[in-house]
Amino acid sequence: MNLTLARIVPLFFSMWLSIQCVFAGESDRALAEQIDQHVDAQLVAAKVSPVATLGDAAFVRRLFLDLTGRVPTRQEWQDFQQREDANKRLLLVDRLLDSPDFAFQLRNELDMMLLARKTHNDAWREYLLAACRENRSWDQLFQEILLPEYKLPDQPGPAAFIRERVQDLDELTNETSSLLFGVNIACAKCHDHPLVYDWEQQHYFGMAMFFKRTYRTRNGLVAERPEGQMKFTNIIEEEKQAEFMFLTGAKVDEPEGNLSKEELKRIEELVRKAEKDGKAELPPLPEFSPRKEFVALAVDSAEANYFTRNIVNRMWARLMGRGLVHPLDQMHSENAASHPELLDALAADFAQHGFDLKRLIRGIVLSEAYQRSSQWSSEELPPAPELYAVAVPRPLSPWQLSLSLLVASRNPETLPGLDKPDDWEQQRQQFESQANGMARRLEIPDDGFQVSAEEALFFNNSAQVENDYLRDSGNRLVGYLKTIEDPESLIHAAFVTVLTRPPSDQELQAMLQYIRAREDRRVESLQQVVWALLASPEFRFNH
Amino acid sequence: MTDSHFCGSPEHRISRRGWLGTTAAAGTALAADMTFLDVLQSPALASELQTRQKRVILLWLAGGASQFETWDPKPGRPTGGPFAKIQTSVPGIEISELMPKMSTRLHQHTSLIRSLNTRIADHGTAYNLMLTGRVGEPGVDFPDMGAVLAHELGQIDSEVPDYVSMYTSTEGRRKGKAGFLGARYNPMFLTDQMTPENIGKLDSISSVDHRDRAALRQLLAKRFSSDRPSPSVASHNTAYERVRGLMASEKLFDIDQEPRSVRNAYGPTQFGEQCLIARRLVEAGVPFVKVARAWWDSHGQNFETHLELCADLDHCMSALLDDLQQRGMLEDTLVITLGEFGRTPNINGSLGRDHFARAWSCSLSGCGIKPGTVYGKTDEDGNTVVDGEIGAGDLFATIFKALGIDYHKEYMLGSRPIPIADFGAKPVEEILA
Repeated sequence: MNLTLARIVPLFFSMWLSIQCVFAGESDRALAEQIDQHVDAQLVAAKVSPVATLGDAAFVRRLFLDLTGRVPTRQEWQDFQQREDANKRLLLVDRLLDSPDFAFQLRNELDMMLLARKTHNDAWREYLLAACRENRSWDQLFQEILLPEYKLPDQPGPAAFIRERVQDLDELTNETSSLLFGVNIACAKCHDHPLVYDWEQQHYFGMAMFFKRTYRTRNGLVAERPEGQMKFTNIIEEEKQAEFMFLTGAKVDEPEGNLSKEELKRIEELVRKAEKDGKAELPPLPEFSPRKEFVALAVDSAEANYFTRNIVNRMWARLMGRGLVHPLDQMHSENAASHPELLDALAADFAQHGFDLKRLIRGIVLSEAYQRSSQWSSEELPPAPELYAVAVPRPLSPWQLSLSLLVASRNPETLPGLDKPDDWEQQRQQFESQANGMARRLEIPDDGFQVSAEEALFFNNSAQVENDYLRDSGNRLVGYLKTIEDPESLIHAAFVTVLTRPPSDQELQAMLQYIRAREDRRVESLQQVVWALLASPEFRFNH
Repeated sequence: MTDSHFCGSPEHRISRRGWLGTTAAAGTALAADMTFLDVLQSPALASELQTRQKRVILLWLAGGASQFETWDPKPGRPTGGPFAKIQTSVPGIEISELMPKMSTRLHQHTSLIRSLNTRIADHGTAYNLMLTGRVGEPGVDFPDMGAVLAHELGQIDSEVPDYVSMYTSTEGRRKGKAGFLGARYNPMFLTDQMTPENIGKLDSISSVDHRDRAALRQLLAKRFSSDRPSPSVASHNTAYERVRGLMASEKLFDIDQEPRSVRNAYGPTQFGEQCLIARRLVEAGVPFVKVARAWWDSHGQNFETHLELCADLDHCMSALLDDLQQRGMLEDTLVITLGEFGRTPNINGSLGRDHFARAWSCSLSGCGIKPGTVYGKTDEDGNTVVDGEIGAGDLFATIFKALGIDYHKEYMLGSRPIPIADFGAKPVEEILA
């Protein structure tokens, strides 16, 4: 790519400007500025200039999707538009982070990251929601999830992470390692990792040892046995005893047990019964708990690198469309981060500020890097994605899409959203349960996500889409559009409500022509216009 | 502007062009189409076009059929059960008397494999093994045979579905999965009806409005994707562009469109009707169709179960092979008859046979197969494989090779190469044409 002076000067100017802001006392943008320094430095080194910053409308839509998990209502957008405050983007960020929507959105994201690919679990989701509402710290969540309470009558919500995986030790080991530490060690099960020197068989079995004794009782509690060892055979057929060993190689020694053989036998018998019978006596927990040791080791300052960098990287990837370490579960020495110092800086900041997810998210969305346009109009190929020079269009998650369909298909007059905060939390709660069915039939997007023909057929031909999003009634968008006489205003209202932007001239003309050709079936034509907007890629993606 | 809303990768551009070439009416039109000539100049692409015409029908025997009552009978032995064996049209090869129609067709179409040792004998894990060709590992979501073959044999913007999955009875009901190949290769799954969900439009919208509404959507999509070169965004448009073609394929599921004589040949059972649908689908270009026939899991009353189910299988499989042959399609269509495992030599107290994966059988017919051959051998009681033992990976390599697909081919999962047939798998050359 050619780099002209004209393109690079503004870049330096913006860097200078951001440095000035720090001195001007805007220290609450400090994290964002750090991000931009690192990202900009690499852009300069690669001689690439980033695309322009998003316009207001696109920014508001992106921010609402990321922080509230839904599109903005028309009124929320217009309210932002009318503000004249120079700081209004920052103000909106803080407003959304404090809104009731944020907890719902973070809950849904954590659920999709940790469990929803396997199963839907209401108690777990309730637990996450309560935790997100009080902005519980990530290390606290981690401990609650891996060390759930062991008591009846209720199955504790956080136990689901282990409970749903414990029947398969390999799955529990590898998914804990991938999701919570960014390290996929499955390759090291049968042999030392062929490509990555970091991962040897002993690490795989070392990690598995921490979960080997974990089991679930018939009534859904997660507990541990007093005993359990593992051996593994390496490729030269040597048999080895597995140790309690963390990814970093740090080990835990098991203290000499003080239970007699008979006592151990009795407990094993209780465990067997409790696994089969929900009414059986609960076996006692052993004094030495490998899982407890694991949790202590994983968050201990000397070993916590993986723990903090993983969640920072996952949060970054969710908001930026690509991890600093990519793929997300390949955090090892052969796969360096695109911006190693930035990852270190974000991880350090995260750990210093009490593992506060909200602070981290805030820092990222306030950065220039986050606020870049997703449009690339040059004939040349776009720059490498790890430069973050242009935003990647991200498919909406099942929850984002399902909730956005509900919000966008409402009568905008009767749905002020956050502009009427008293009613809003309850309304949001209602949307959340209405969104459930649709969210669960959609796929959670991965890298290289593709829309299925099934989805397109569903949007085209299912009665559910017609009933839920296109109904002609007073509190729905179609019902509202029907009351607008002037076709141009009507089309304008439909675009702003669904896509948070006015129509282009070409779009306006096409829609006008469409409606005018169907004056004998006006309501149907309005349904079809709304359908075209809801089924557009512009609605399907966060861009 | 490049190929508008295609993802812009050179691969897809070529595939699309290749596709336009192959479908732009048969015969003379091809020669006149310069883009098609282009394609032929590249050896890689020429072979790509060859595999393009291949199709697969998987007759899935859900629950696990008995090898003793089908392809590997042992009458007179303690493990043999009450049924006799019969001579087939190939001298020296005998199969169970429950498969009389197939016995007369063996020389024309079919090869038997009698030496599968796949070790895993619980339904769920064995199902995954036999449909993905590997044991699997945590953290990798392997695509099944249907998704891989749809990917290898189909076209990205195909107007027909490229992976259709049907079943009889709830026990056989497993949808299939595209795994890391992505939702583009998800099966079109027929649930309680004989046509796929949402394939027909609602009565509340006219055909004209349905079409015009799609054009309106397309206008919005074009504007959005023109300056967003993202494969995911492109896949949204591809999916919506496929809708009209997929809806038009609704008629493929309507067997009333077949002449009476053809319907009679397949017979009135649900399995027979689904086999006929499968034939209609592959004829229209669908590369992979799975018809699951359940439920073979005969822990009790094995012999009564097989008396009934084998009659249906024997009849429908024969009718399908005859029909494909009469239409000149068998050369390019591979019919796989397979389950998750076989059944035990031991006959239990309820006159049943239990799960057994150490020595069992399957059959391959049609495309790329040397007809009238048998590969592998079990001992006289059917307890072990004594000759030509193969595993699931080898079977997959055989299937790929029969279809002209390089079984060494690798998919990249991040930085990791994953061969389409499991590591170390080898095809059974003896049964390949």
